[in-house]
Amino acid sequence: MLETREARTTLPKLSLSNVSSGYGPVAVIEALSLSIAPGQIFALMGKNGMGKTTVLKTILGFVALRSGDISLDGASMSGVSQASLIASGVGYAPQEQALFQDLSVRDNLRLALRSDRGFAQAVERVYGHFPFLRERLSQRAGTLSGGEQKMLILGRALMLQPKLLLIDEISEGLQPSVVERIATALKEERRANGTTILIVEQNLPFALGVADNWAVLKLGRIDDAGDVTEGTASRVLQHLKI
Amino acid sequence: MPENRSIPPRVWLFAAIALATAVVVVIGPALFDRFTLNVLTRSMIYAMLAVTVDILWGYTGILTFGQAAFFGTGAYASAMVLSHLGSTPALLALALALAVIVPVLLGGFVGWLSFGHGSTPLYATVISLVVPIVVTQLVFSGGVWTGSSSGLVGYSGLPLGLPGYFRLTGICLIVTTVVALVFTRSDAGKLLVAIRDNEARCAYLGLNPQRLKIVLTALLAGVAGIAGFLYANASGVVAPENTGFVFGTEIVLWTALGGRGTIIGPVMGAIGIDYLSAQLSGDLPFLWNLVVGTLFVVMIILLPNGLAQLARMALPRRNGEQANAAGSPAITVAPAGNGSTGDNRVLSVSGLGKSFGSLQVLQGIDLDVRPGELVSLVGPNGAGKTTLMRCLSDGTEATTGSVSIAGQNIDGMTPDEIVTLGVGRKFQVASVFDSLTVADCLRMARASRQAPSLLRRSATLGLPAAAADILRSTGLDRMLGQPVSLLSHGQKQSLELAMVVALEPKLILLDEPTAGLTKVERTTIGGTLQKLTGELGFAAILVEHDLDFVRDISTRIVVLHQGKLVLDGSVAEVVNSETVRTIYSGAAHA
Amino acid sequence: MTLLLDMVTTAAILFIVAAGLLAIFGVLKIINFAHGAWLTIGAYCAVATAGLGLNPWAALPIAFAVGAILGGITELVIVRPLYRRPLDAILATWGLGIVIGQLITLWFGRDVQFTSNLLSGTVDVFGVGYSLYRLFAVAAALVIGLAFTFLLEGTRLGLSAQAVIMNEVLARALGVDTARVRLATFIVGTGLAALAGVLLTPLTSVDPNMGVAWLIGSFMLVMVAGSSFSTLAIACIVFGGAQVLVSTFVSPILGGITVAVLCALVLRISPKGFARA
Repeated sequence: MLETREARTTLPKLSLSNVSSGYGPVAVIEALSLSIAPGQIFALMGKNGMGKTTVLKTILGFVALRSGDISLDGASMSGVSQASLIASGVGYAPQEQALFQDLSVRDNLRLALRSDRGFAQAVERVYGHFPFLRERLSQRAGTLSGGEQKMLILGRALMLQPKLLLIDEISEGLQPSVVERIATALKEERRANGTTILIVEQNLPFALGVADNWAVLKLGRIDDAGDVTEGTASRVLQHLKI
Repeated sequence: MPENRSIPPRVWLFAAIALATAVVVVIGPALFDRFTLNVLTRSMIYAMLAVTVDILWGYTGILTFGQAAFFGTGAYASAMVLSHLGSTPALLALALALAVIVPVLLGGFVGWLSFGHGSTPLYATVISLVVPIVVTQLVFSGGVWTGSSSGLVGYSGLPLGLPGYFRLTGICLIVTTVVALVFTRSDAGKLLVAIRDNEARCAYLGLNPQRLKIVLTALLAGVAGIAGFLYANASGVVAPENTGFVFGTEIVLWTALGGRGTIIGPVMGAIGIDYLSAQLSGDLPFLWNLVVGTLFVVMIILLPNGLAQLARMALPRRNGEQANAAGSPAITVAPAGNGSTGDNRVLSVSGLGKSFGSLQVLQGIDLDVRPGELVSLVGPNGAGKTTLMRCLSDGTEATTGSVSIAGQNIDGMTPDEIVTLGVGRKFQVASVFDSLTVADCLRMARASRQAPSLLRRSATLGLPAAAADILRSTGLDRMLGQPVSLLSHGQKQSLELAMVVALEPKLILLDEPTAGLTKVERTTIGGTLQKLTGELGFAAILVEHDLDFVRDISTRIVVLHQGKLVLDGSVAEVVNSETVRTIYSGAAHA
Repeated sequence: MTLLLDMVTTAAILFIVAAGLLAIFGVLKIINFAHGAWLTIGAYCAVATAGLGLNPWAALPIAFAVGAILGGITELVIVRPLYRRPLDAILATWGLGIVIGQLITLWFGRDVQFTSNLLSGTVDVFGVGYSLYRLFAVAAALVIGLAFTFLLEGTRLGLSAQAVIMNEVLARALGVDTARVRLATFIVGTGLAALAGVLLTPLTSVDPNMGVAWLIGSFMLVMVAGSSFSTLAIACIVFGGAQVLVSTFVSPILGGITVAVLCALVLRISPKGFARA
C-alpha cells in the first residue's frame, strides 16, 4: 500500500507485493505490500510479536512465502537460494544468535565473504566505521561487550558492501552512545555507497533519526505509514503504546 | 444421542482374513513340502517379532534393534533349560516361563535405561544397538552353559513334529497379530500414537510417557521371548546370531519394507522376505541380498511407509463424510471432579529466580493468583515471560524461590505431577496430536482420570461441561471424527484449549493463544477465557503480545521487564503507567 | 609396559576408525551406518592394490580417493533427501552397507583375504619388544588428528563447517552454501573411513563383513564425543584403555563390549556425553 515519491519514479530496490507468510499453520504476515527505493532508509516499526522479524526472514527465504511476490531490482526472488541472494549484494544483521560466539572476531568477519582474497580490503571498510575492531580481531566474539557485538554484527553485514542492508532491532538494549555510532555508520554507508537500508526497530528516536520513510506493522499488516517528518514521532507512538 | 454400536465393515474383513489364515495354518501341512513347512514356521516366528517392532517403531516412534536380544534371550533361556535339565512337561513349562520372565525383566531394565527424563529418541536407538551386542557377547562367554560360538543343539523340545510346530506357530502369529490390531486401534492404542506425535503434550496432560514406554518395552520383550521359545523348540538349535544386532536390523528391515504402522504390513514383509530368501538364496546367494538391500534403501528414501503405502494407494479411500459418521463419538458430560480448596490462592509464587549459568533470566518474582482471575503477563521480548510460565508448570526449572499450586510446593515435581495438582498449560504453537482425530485428542486429555479401554473404541466421549462448551462454540463438536491434521490453525488452538480445560485444572497457563488467529477467532477465544474465569471460577495466566486483546479481557496485568516484575495492577493502572510507556517505546535504555 | 602400550595403541586405532564417522556426524548430524562398509571398501582397496602388484602404501591414497568418490555419490543420492529424517538416514545407510557388502562379496568372494603387511616386525620400547605397526598406528592417529585440526582451523572449508556445526541458520544467513559444506564433509568423512580400512588390514582379517564389527564401537564413541575431535581423542583414550584392561584382567570377550557398554552408561548419566565438558 505504501508508495513513496521516489518509488514511483524509479524501479524500487526492494518490493513486496501482497506477501503472506508464516510458520507451519500460523500466518504471521498477511497481504503485506511495501516498496523501498534505491538509497532509501526505511524503518519498519511495531510492537513485539507483530511480525517485523518475520518480514526480514521472509525476504531472506527463511520463512516460506505463501502468496505474493518479493522482488529485488524488479526481478522476482522466488527460488533464489540464500547463498546467491547474499552474493548478489544483500547484507543481513540478525537480532538473535547473530554471532558465532566461540569463533574469533576475524572468523566472524571472514564468514561474510566466500573467499579470503578480498578480506583485507573489505575489513578496512569496516574499520572505517568501527575502528575498535582492528585491535580485537583475534578475540573471541563472545567476549565482546553487548554494544561491541552489535557493531560487529553490523560491520560483518557491511563486509560485502551490500546494495541492500536488512537490520533487525540493532539498537535493542544498547547505550545511547552506541546507538549514535550505529546511526552514524548507517548514514555514512548510505551517503558513500547509496545503500538501501531496511531497519526493523522499536527504538523510535533511533529509527526516526536515520530513516526517510516509516511504516508500522500490526498483526502482520501495515497499520500506518509515511515519510519521516516533524510529527512522525507522536503519530508512531500512538501505535506503539499499550 | 443414539448409541452407535454397529460393527464397522473393516472389522468383519479382518475377522474373515484371520479365519482364512487360520484355515491355511491348519491344513498347511497337507499342502506344503517339508522344506516349505520348515521355512514358513521360521518366517512366522520372525513375523511375530516384526509385529513387536512395528508397535514400538511404527506406532510409538521408537526405532529399536533390540528385539533380537529379547528374542535371543527367550530362545536361550528355553534351550538352556531343555539342554541342561531335560524336557519333561514341567520343565517345558519352566522353559516357557523363563522365556517370558527373563526378557521382560531385561526389557524393563533396557526401558529404564532408554527412557530417562530428557533422553532423546536417538539415545533409545543407541541402547537398542548395545543390548544385542552385550547379549551376544555374554552368550559367547557362557562356555558349556550357552554352548559358546557353536550354540546349543540336540535337546528335545515340545513333542509336536514339523506339522505340529507349523500349526502352533501359525496360531501364535494369528493371535499376536489380532491382539496387536485390536490394541493399536483401541482407545489405549491411540496413546502410543500420541506419545510418538507429541511427548511433551502427553506429559502436560498428566500422563507419564516415560513409564508407558518402559512398560511397553518390557511387555513386547516378553512377546519376543515367546517367539524365542517357539524358535528354540521348532528349530532344535539356538546360536549366537539369533541374539545379534544384525538380526535386529533384519527385523527392522522387514517392518520397513512391509510398511510401518500397519501391523499386517510387517507380518507380510517378514514372511515374504524370509520365505523368498530361503527359496532364492540357493540359486542366487548374494544377488538376492543385494536386491533386498537396494529395495530397502530405495523404499526408505521414496516410500517411507513401505509396501503397505502402495497397497493403500491402490485401495479405494473411504471418504471423509463416512469416516466422520463412523468414527465420531457422542459427547457426554462428565461430572465436575474438584471442589474449591481451603486456601483461596490457586497460585502463590515467592522470590522466584531462574538463571542459565551466569545469565539471570528471572529474579525475585512474587505473584499470587486467586480463582476467577484472568492475569495477563506482558513485557518486551526476552523479559522472561515464557521462562516464568515454564517455572510454573515444571518444578525442576526454577533456580531459587518457591512456587505453590493450591497450597502445595511444586519444587522438583515433573510436569505430569503438576498437572494432577490442577495446572493446565496451553502452548504458543498449538500442541495437539496431528495423527489423531479431534475426539481422540480429547480422550487423551481425560486419560489420566479415566483409563482408556485396551480393547475397543468408545462410542462416547466424557467431557466436563466447560470443555464441551468450547467445542460447541467453536464448531469442533461437529468435527470430532476428523483427523487433527485437517483442522485450521485457529481450530487447533481451540482444540488445545478444550483439551486443557478437559483436565479440569484450577489454573490455566496460556502462552500467546491468539498468535496467528483471525479477528473472529481472537474474539471467540477471548470470550471463552472470560467465561472460564468470570463465570466458572478457573484462574488463568496469559502471556500475550497483543495489548489490545489484553486490555479487553484481563482482570489484572503483570508487567515483566528484564526478568523482574515491575508492575502488578488493574488494567487501568497499568495502561496509564509511565513505566510501561517507556519500556514499550524503547526509551527505557536512554 | 606392554599393557600401557596396548592401551595407547588401542585408543589410537579406535580414533582412526571413528574419525570419519565423527566428521560426518559433527557437521551433518547424520549417523552414517554405512561407515562399516566404507572401512571394508578401504580394506579391499588394499587387497586390490596388492593384487595389482603395487606398493602396499599406494593403497592409502587409492582408498581415500575411492571412498571419497563413492561418498560423494552417496551424499547426493541417498543422504541428501534424508536430512530431515535422521532415524531413516540410519536405516538407509545401513541398507547401503548391506548392498556394498554384497557387491564386495560378488566381486571378491566371501573368503578371508590377506594383504601384504605395511610394516612388520617389532621394535624395542624401554626393553620390551612391541609391534612396530601398532606404534605406527599411534603416529597415524596423530597425523589424522592434526590434519583434521588444520582442516577445521586453517581452511575455508573448515571455517564454514564450524559455522554449520555452531549455528546452521546463521551460516546460511551469511551466504554460506551449506549444501556444499555437507557434501564436502561427507566426502572427507567417507574418504577417511576408507583410509582407516587400509590401516586396519594388518590388524584384522579382511572379509566382506569386517566393517560391522567396528561400526558399533565407533558409533558409540562418536555419540559420546559429540562433534569435537579433541573429545573423541579423550573418549578413545578412556574407553580404549578400559577395553584393554577388561580384556587383560577379566575376559577378552567382555573386553569387546566394554566400549559400547561404558559409552551407553555415560550417555545415560550425561546425555551430551563428553561434549559439555
